[in-house]
Amino acid sequence: MALKRSGTKYDIFTKIALVLVVAIVFFLIILPLLNILIYSTQPTGSAIITNAFSDVVIRQILWNTMKLGLTVAFLGTLLGFIMAYTQARVEFRGKKVLHIVNLVPIISPPFAFATAVIVLFGRSGIITRGIFDWRPTLYGYTGLVLVLTLSFFPIAYMNLLGMLRSLDPALDEAGSSLGASKWRIFRTVTLPLLIPGFAGSFLLLFIESIADLANPLIIGGNYTVLASRAYMAINGDYDIPMAAGYSFLLLLPALLVFLVQRYWAQRKSVVSVTGKPSGRPTVVTSRLARFFLLSVTFLLTSLIVLVYATVVLGAFVKIIGVENSFTLEHFRYLLGGFANAAVRATTFLALMATPLAGIFGMLIAWLVIRKVRRGSEALDFLGMLGIAVPGTVIGIGYAITYNDPVKIGGVTVFPQVAGGAAIFGGAIAIVMVYIIRSSPAGQRSGISLLQQIDPSIEEASASLGASGGRTFRLVTLPLISGAFLSGLMYAFAHSMTTLSPIIFLVTPDISILTQKILAEADQGRYGNVFALCCMLIVLIMVIGGLINLLVRRFQVSTDRPLVTGR
Amino acid sequence: MAKTTGKLELRALTKEFGNGSEKVVAVKELSLTINPGEFVTLLGPSGCGKTTALRMVAGFETPTSGQVLLDGEDLSALTPDRRPMGMVFQSYALFPHMTVFDNIAYGLKVKKVSTAQIKKEVGEILDSMNLAHLTNRAPNQLSGGQQQRVALARAMVVRPKVLLFDEPLSNLDAKLRAQMRIEIRSIQRRLGITSIFVTHDQDEAMSLSDRIVVMRNAVVEQSGTPEEIYRRPSSVFVADFIGRSNFLSVAEVKKGASRKVTVEASGVKLKVNAHPKALKSAHPHLLVRPESVSVKKSSSSSKSRKANEGVVKNVVFYGNHVEYSIDTPTQTIAAVVSDPVYDEIVPVGAVAKIDFDESRAWLLPSDSAVITSEE
Ligand SMILES: Nc1ncnc2c1ncn2[C@@H]1O[C@H](COP(=O)(O)OP(=O)(O)O)[C@@H](O)[C@H]1O
Ligand SMILES: [Mg+2]
Repeated sequence: MALKRSGTKYDIFTKIALVLVVAIVFFLIILPLLNILIYSTQPTGSAIITNAFSDVVIRQILWNTMKLGLTVAFLGTLLGFIMAYTQARVEFRGKKVLHIVNLVPIISPPFAFATAVIVLFGRSGIITRGIFDWRPTLYGYTGLVLVLTLSFFPIAYMNLLGMLRSLDPALDEAGSSLGASKWRIFRTVTLPLLIPGFAGSFLLLFIESIADLANPLIIGGNYTVLASRAYMAINGDYDIPMAAGYSFLLLLPALLVFLVQRYWAQRKSVVSVTGKPSGRPTVVTSRLARFFLLSVTFLLTSLIVLVYATVVLGAFVKIIGVENSFTLEHFRYLLGGFANAAVRATTFLALMATPLAGIFGMLIAWLVIRKVRRGSEALDFLGMLGIAVPGTVIGIGYAITYNDPVKIGGVTVFPQVAGGAAIFGGAIAIVMVYIIRSSPAGQRSGISLLQQIDPSIEEASASLGASGGRTFRLVTLPLISGAFLSGLMYAFAHSMTTLSPIIFLVTPDISILTQKILAEADQGRYGNVFALCCMLIVLIMVIGGLINLLVRRFQVSTDRPLVTGR
Repeated sequence: MAKTTGKLELRALTKEFGNGSEKVVAVKELSLTINPGEFVTLLGPSGCGKTTALRMVAGFETPTSGQVLLDGEDLSALTPDRRPMGMVFQSYALFPHMTVFDNIAYGLKVKKVSTAQIKKEVGEILDSMNLAHLTNRAPNQLSGGQQQRVALARAMVVRPKVLLFDEPLSNLDAKLRAQMRIEIRSIQRRLGITSIFVTHDQDEAMSLSDRIVVMRNAVVEQSGTPEEIYRRPSSVFVADFIGRSNFLSVAEVKKGASRKVTVEASGVKLKVNAHPKALKSAHPHLLVRPESVSVKKSSSSSKSRKANEGVVKNVVFYGNHVEYSIDTPTQTIAAVVSDPVYDEIVPVGAVAKIDFDESRAWLLPSDSAVITSEE
C-alpha cells in the first residue's frame, strides 16, 4: 500500500499496540476457535465430520444449509438490486422515506420478522387465512427464505446502491451518443460494471444466512440447518464434541466464502475513473420498466411496513388478529419483573462493549493502513474474524473455552469468564463477544477513511517530535472520529440485537433481551415478543441518538477534504 | 473537401434549471449556425452555460425552449441515441470493463455492422491514431493521452455528422494538451466533421477553431474568427478573456474621415479602428495589446517625464521576448517586446517612452465588466 511509511522501524507504541491487538484477537476469537477444532476431534465430533457426506441425516443438514444460503443470497441480491436501481435511477416521490424503510431491517431485532411473518402469513395468518382463507405452512424452507431475504436484502441494497452512485454518468451518455438504447446500455454497460457488487452481495448474504440461528429456531420447523443442529447438540444432546463437529462444518464454508468475498471479489471491483465524473445519471423513462420497478418496490416496502406495523400493534393488543383490544398487559408483565433485569444487563453490557469495540476496530485499521508493512492483510483478516465466523460457532467456542479458567501447563492465563460460577455471573464473556462481533464494522470504516487521509499529516506530527501514541491520540483519532462514530453506532445496535453467540453464554444471573425474546417466541407468546422488540428498538434509537450527540461534540469537522496532493 | 451535410443550426436555445426562486438560466436564447465541416468553440468562464448548451445539442438536456436543427431537420423529438452525433467527454467515459477494441467497436455493434466489417474499421482507425499496439488493453492500463485518443476514435468510428467535445483536454498535462490539440484538429479537418468544442482555455480555443463563440452568463457575448475575437472584441469582457490587454482611458473621441476614429490616449493622438457602439458609449476604452506597445529608453527624468513616458516597474527577460510593466501618470501599461536587443532593454527604475501601434488598437464601448488585466 502506497500510503504507508516505509523504511522506518516500528516505534514502541506500534509494537505495544501490535502485541495488544494480537493478544486480544487471540483470546477473543482464536482460542475459542482452536478449542472447537480440538473438541471436534473427539469421537462424537469427528464422527460428524468424517460422515458428513456418507450419513444421510448430516448430508441432509448440509444440503439444507447450502440450499437456504444459495436461495437467500440469490433472492436477496436480486431484490437489493431492484431496490437500489429504483432508488438511483427512477424518479418518484417519497424516495428518501423508501431509503430509510429499506435500511430499517439492518438494525432490527432478529425475531421481529419471523414472528410478524408467522402472524401475518402463517397457517392462521391474518392475511393468509383472514383474507384468503388459505392455510400455508410457513415453518421450514419457505418461511426461512421469506424471512431471511427480508432481513438481509438491505446488505445487497446498500452495497449496490453505493456502486450505482459511483458509476460515472458519462458512461451511460457515451453509450447513448454511440446510438445504444437505454435497455442496451443497461445490459452492456451498467450490469457488467456491477458484477463485482453482485458477487460481493451474494457472498455476504450467503454467509449471513447460513450463520443465522434465530430464524431457524423460530420458523425453521423440521428444516434443520447446521447452526440450529449445533445449538441442539448443546441444548438437547448435551454433547459438546458433537456441537464442535457441526460448528466445524459450518465454519469451513463461512470462512472460505468470506475470504473469497474480501480478497478476491473486492479486488476485482476497482473501476477506473480518470477524469471528473460528469453529467447526470440516466433516469428510467420506459413505462414498462418504471411499472415493474415501482411495483416491486411498492410491494416490498409495504411488506416491511406491514411487518413493523404488526410488531408495534401486536405489542399493544391482546392477541393480534384474534383479540384486537388495546392492552398494556404485555408491557406490564415485562416491566413488572420479567424483563427488567434483562433490559438493564443488555443495555449496560452493550454500552460497556461499544467504546471498546470502537477503539479496537480503529486501532486495527490504523495499524493495517499506516503501520504494519508486511502482513497487513493478515492483520486485517484477524480483525475481521469476529464477523466472518458464524455467531453460533463463536458462542459454542466461548462456552467450551471460558466455562473453566484457561490453563497452560497448570498455570491460569485467563480466568473463567463464562457461566454462572464465573466472576460477574459470566458477564465478561458476553462483553467479549460483543466486542469481537462489532469491532469489524469500526475497522472497515476506519480503513476506508484512513485511506483517504494523507499520511504526511501524521508524519508532520512525528517530525514535530510527537511519539507514536501521541500522534495516534492527537492527530489520527480526531481525524477518523467520523468513522469512529458510525462504528460506535453500529457496534451498539449490533450488540443489542445479537443472539446466536449470546444464547450459549447467558446464565441465571445475566439474562439478555434477545434470549428473552427467543424464549417467549418459543412459548408462542407473540404479544410479549412484539413488546420486547419494541422496547429493544426504542432503546437502540434513544441510546444510539445519545451516543451520536456525545461523540459529535468532540468531533473535528472533516467536511473539507484532507487530500490535497498525491 | 467541402462537405454538404452536417449543417447545424441552434435557434434561440434556452435552458432553465429549477423553478421559482431557485431558477437558474443556464443558457439564454443561443442562436448559432454552424456550417458543414466547421470547427466552432464555445469559450467562456466556468458556469457560463457551455456544457449545458453542448448537452442540449447532444440531446442529454431538453431545451426549455428553442430548437436544434441538423441539415434542416428538427432534432427535438430525437433521444441522444437517435442523433448522428459523437461525443468526447471530459472524463473520457471509456467503458472500464471493455478492451480498447471493444470500446471502439461498441457503436458499430449497436449499428449491427458485420463482425468482419467491424474488425476492419476498428483496425483502420486504431492504425491511423497510432493505437494499434493497445488493441487488447483495458482502459485503466492506458495513459491519459492514450485514453483520450481511444475516446476520440470511439466517437469517430461511427462517422457522426457532428462531433461534440466537452473540455476533453482538461485532464492532460500542458505538453500533451498541445499535442492533442494538433491531433484533434488535423483529424477533424481530414474527415470534415462539423464540430463543437467546449473549453474555458483561450489558447485551446484560438489554436483549434474556425470560429469562437464567447459566452458569458448564459448569453453569447461575441462570435467570430479567432482573429476577430482577438483584434476586434466587442466588449471589455471578451478582450480581457482572450489574451492580455491594456485598456486606456481616452479623451476627445472624434469621428474622422473613412471609418477611423481619432482619440487621445496617454497624451498622444491616435487614429484607430472602433467598434460601432464605441462612439455612442459614454466612456469608451482603447484596447492595446501588450505586443502593440513599443518601448524605448528616454532621457527624461522620472519627474520631467511626459504623458507618454513612464517609469519601468518591472522587466522580465524570457529570451525571445521581454515583458515590461510601466507606470505612466495615468495607469500601468503592459508591454511585450519580441526578439529584444539585449542592450536596448530598459532597466527597472528608468524612464521609458511608449508608443502604441495605432493600426492595431481598437476602441471599445465601456461595459460593466471590471477591468482586471492589470493589478
Ligand atoms: N443539472 C443542473 N441543475 C441545476 N443547475 C445546473 C445544472 N447543470 C448546470 N446547472 C447550472 O447552469 C449553469 C451553467 O452550467 P454549465 O453549463 O455546466 O457551465 P459551464 O460548462 O460553462 O461551466 C451553472 O450555473 C450551473 O450551476
Ligand atoms: Mg462545463
